[in-house]
Amino acid sequence: MKNGLACVLLALTAAAASAQDVYPSRPISMIVPFPPGGVADITGRPTAAALEKVLKQPVTINNRPGAGGKVGNAAVANAKPDGYTIMMALSSVSVLPEADKLFDLKPAYTLDQLAPVALISADPVILVVHPSVPAKTLPELVALARQKQGQLSFSTSGVYGALHLPMEMFLHALNLKMRAVHSTGGGPAITMVLGGHVDMTVGGPAAITAQVNAGKLRPVVGWGARRHEAFPNVPTFKELGYDIEYYIWAGMFAPKATPEPVMRVLRDATRKAVEDPDFRTSMARVNSPVQYLDAPEFAKYWAADAKRLAEVVRVIGRVEEQK
Amino acid sequence: MNDSVSAGAHARGMRGDHVAGAVLMAFSALVAWENRSYPLGSLASPGPGSVPLMLALILGGLGLLIIVRGAASPLLNSIEWSEARRGFVLLLACGVATFVLERIGYRLSMIALLVFMLGVVERKKPLPTALVSIGFAYGSYFMFATLLKVQLPLGPWGL
Amino acid sequence: MDGVFGNLMLGFSVAMQPSVLAYAFAGCVIGTLVGMLPGLGPLAGISLLLPATFGLDPIVAIVLLAGVYYGAMYGGSTTSILMRIPGEAASVMTCIDGYAMTQRGRAGPALAIAAIGSFVAGTFSVVALMLLAPTLATFALRFGPPEYTALLTMGLLVLSYMSGGSMLKTLAMAAVGLLLGMVGIDAMSGYTRFSYGMTELADGVGIVPVAVGLFGLSEILMTAGQASPPPVQQPTLRQLIPSAEEMRLSIGPITRGSVVGFLIGIIPGAAHIISSFVSYGMERRISNHPERFGNGAIEGVAGPESANNAAATGAFVPMLALGVPTGPITAVMLAAIMVHGIAPGPMLITEQPQLFWGFVASMYVGNVVLLVLNLPLVGIFVNLLRIPYSYLYPAILCFCVLGVYSVGNSVVDVWIMLAMGGVGYVLRKFHFDLAPVALGLVLSPLLELSVRQSLAMSGGSYGIFLDRPIAITMFGAAFVLILLALKPLIFKGKDWRHDVGLDEPAAE
Repeated sequence: MKNGLACVLLALTAAAASAQDVYPSRPISMIVPFPPGGVADITGRPTAAALEKVLKQPVTINNRPGAGGKVGNAAVANAKPDGYTIMMALSSVSVLPEADKLFDLKPAYTLDQLAPVALISADPVILVVHPSVPAKTLPELVALARQKQGQLSFSTSGVYGALHLPMEMFLHALNLKMRAVHSTGGGPAITMVLGGHVDMTVGGPAAITAQVNAGKLRPVVGWGARRHEAFPNVPTFKELGYDIEYYIWAGMFAPKATPEPVMRVLRDATRKAVEDPDFRTSMARVNSPVQYLDAPEFAKYWAADAKRLAEVVRVIGRVEEQK
Repeated sequence: MNDSVSAGAHARGMRGDHVAGAVLMAFSALVAWENRSYPLGSLASPGPGSVPLMLALILGGLGLLIIVRGAASPLLNSIEWSEARRGFVLLLACGVATFVLERIGYRLSMIALLVFMLGVVERKKPLPTALVSIGFAYGSYFMFATLLKVQLPLGPWGL
Repeated sequence: MDGVFGNLMLGFSVAMQPSVLAYAFAGCVIGTLVGMLPGLGPLAGISLLLPATFGLDPIVAIVLLAGVYYGAMYGGSTTSILMRIPGEAASVMTCIDGYAMTQRGRAGPALAIAAIGSFVAGTFSVVALMLLAPTLATFALRFGPPEYTALLTMGLLVLSYMSGGSMLKTLAMAAVGLLLGMVGIDAMSGYTRFSYGMTELADGVGIVPVAVGLFGLSEILMTAGQASPPPVQQPTLRQLIPSAEEMRLSIGPITRGSVVGFLIGIIPGAAHIISSFVSYGMERRISNHPERFGNGAIEGVAGPESANNAAATGAFVPMLALGVPTGPITAVMLAAIMVHGIAPGPMLITEQPQLFWGFVASMYVGNVVLLVLNLPLVGIFVNLLRIPYSYLYPAILCFCVLGVYSVGNSVVDVWIMLAMGGVGYVLRKFHFDLAPVALGLVLSPLLELSVRQSLAMSGGSYGIFLDRPIAITMFGAAFVLILLALKPLIFKGKDWRHDVGLDEPAAE
């Protein structure tokens, strides 16, 4: 009995080993470190579907939410680098190890454990205020903030979260003070402004378009390099003379030691996948235009972005000890 | 519950509530100690350590009150632990299955767990044991993983 | 009124299309199956189904998801009643009296009343949603952090009516639950508390593994170890149907549960979890025979089950009227319509009348489908109890592992469940009630966050809790309730606890 079992196991292992000749020879798992329905998930699913067509192997989505993406990011960083585990991560991937450092925690993963494959989308965020706030433009808002001496308030998606960092960039660049009310996600952050409990927050285009059109929120300024297509009347910090830029982006990653030939297959497949018409339609529907960058350019973009965000996190420091 | 209260009310000795209260106090002390690395903040701006400390103090106080008022609770010796041994074995078996769950896959670990519980703990005959174990593992896998797309671990052999 | 009627006709013309109807039906069936798996509740159900809806028409997608949602809510109560395993946080209270009824051979009526209560509550809430959604949503938005603090404080007061045992032990268990809720990242400061280097603990200890462990697993450990297994039940047809007395007792709890649940449900945030706790506490408080609770009181099933279903529907009010995802479930539902290019927002009802009214009509349909589906199923479910316990419990244990694992694909959750099973077993030996642990765990992260958010809003002034009309009213009500609860202590033991011999022994 024992011998028989051992034989079966041996045979199975051998079969698994021989099957790995040509990549990909079995289904690929794309880890999404957020729950279904989030930005990463909504970007990941059409990408996976398009990749499937190119690679002729199933690409299954595996949601591993937890700790603002840390659980899933760490899972991929420590996964077997064989190309069968890839990830659709958000810009927060660069912030989390930095925040860990801030609190003297052993980081769950480090950035050099991940190899960028491609950038899929990048959305600039926009500052929105409750309609009762008298300021209509950025200079007016800054004047109001100075006059109120730190009594204006903003909500965030969580401390050091995707909607906290851009706000801190803005406050730091203009040397302003405001009250930060942290919540547990983008939805609660916007709800708090809609109810008039705080004065402003930051939101991605998809989350705020309908509210802005209905007059429930007023956009003031954006973080992009150029004005956003959906908000042609909203100026950017850049054109108002401040060197602040911030995007929430979604990009594909693989574990660092993934062999070069496998990486090339993945990169080629992604390049073809983003041209897929179905993929384009899905992305346009969620108001998130495709911003494709191949691995070398994405690596450069990522390095610059990570450096910028790490700087912001250090400037914020431990919020508990600011006062 | 009330029977045991009156039965043990006059006997002398360690009471159940004395132990329970002491354990709660020890737990609250442990929390308060572990909590020391989180800043307490101020009254106007409570820090991450403030609420846990407050709760630990409350729990400690309650533990003390439970000890003080525990004289009428059942005697420690009167609490029966007859089912504890088998309960511990079951818990341990589940622990082992959990440990191997992501290592050998869902179906294999469930078969192993069921074979142990039915065959060893409950001393069922081999045939029903095998049928139920394999049937359950494959049936539940088909139902939840195949039909409903619940993500279950596969292990190195795809089971 | 005419407008509503015309719109509703439009909605029904959408919802009664055979294909839409078929999806509503399929959704209810799938939801019930998913919900029966311990740990997998409505959120898991619709998250699993979400990807499958991307290829469907948006109305069909949302109808299917709503069906899954309802089905899963109901499926969770089945395992609570039959096996004392809460499918999700909302059915923790159902476990207590529902399982006690099962042990007394009244599983059938408990399941039937749960189905009927869910149906009544669901229908009531859809009517309220249909007629009042925009008005209620505007009101709901006024609930900011200070109001939330007041609401949750009232939730804490439920504790005093929750358990029949010693008040000290109830409070101690609540404190343990509240402390458990402190594990994880502190949203206001970013500190990761009590996680001991485990990344999985950064989101805190989940209510599902704790509830399944404390209630389900501890029960198995207690029963499986006994020398003689519990007798196999042979339910007859008559035992499946609620008696006239049971029906009469349920009317009040179902009505109150529906109203209270709906009101708590419309408030943005995660507070709807407390609706079933509040309903249970309320029923026990106003009951003439509070001592029956915990030993199989039908009111303890009817109230919480109605409340959690009403709250579930209430949660759709801010989602549909304002287009804001107010909780994880509504966030997934909104994602389901966003991927079809429909931007959810305050104009959703006017811009997409077909979607809104189709959804409303399909909720009516879904409620009926669920009732029609589940009442006959009561007979089948009850027959699960015919399986000898020595075969039943290993399967239940495996289902617990499977369900808890798949909530977050995390083995850590399974470890938590096992640990809680052991702890729950020992605590029950020492006569501690476990429901307060669950309530504490649910409340503490919300309560702590809302207090600190309020202080951040006001720059550190506690006046914010007194300036706001809704908050001050609720704090006032809470204060009165505390005084009422203290009255028996001041006027020497005229509490019901005393009358029924449940008083703390040392107080005598």
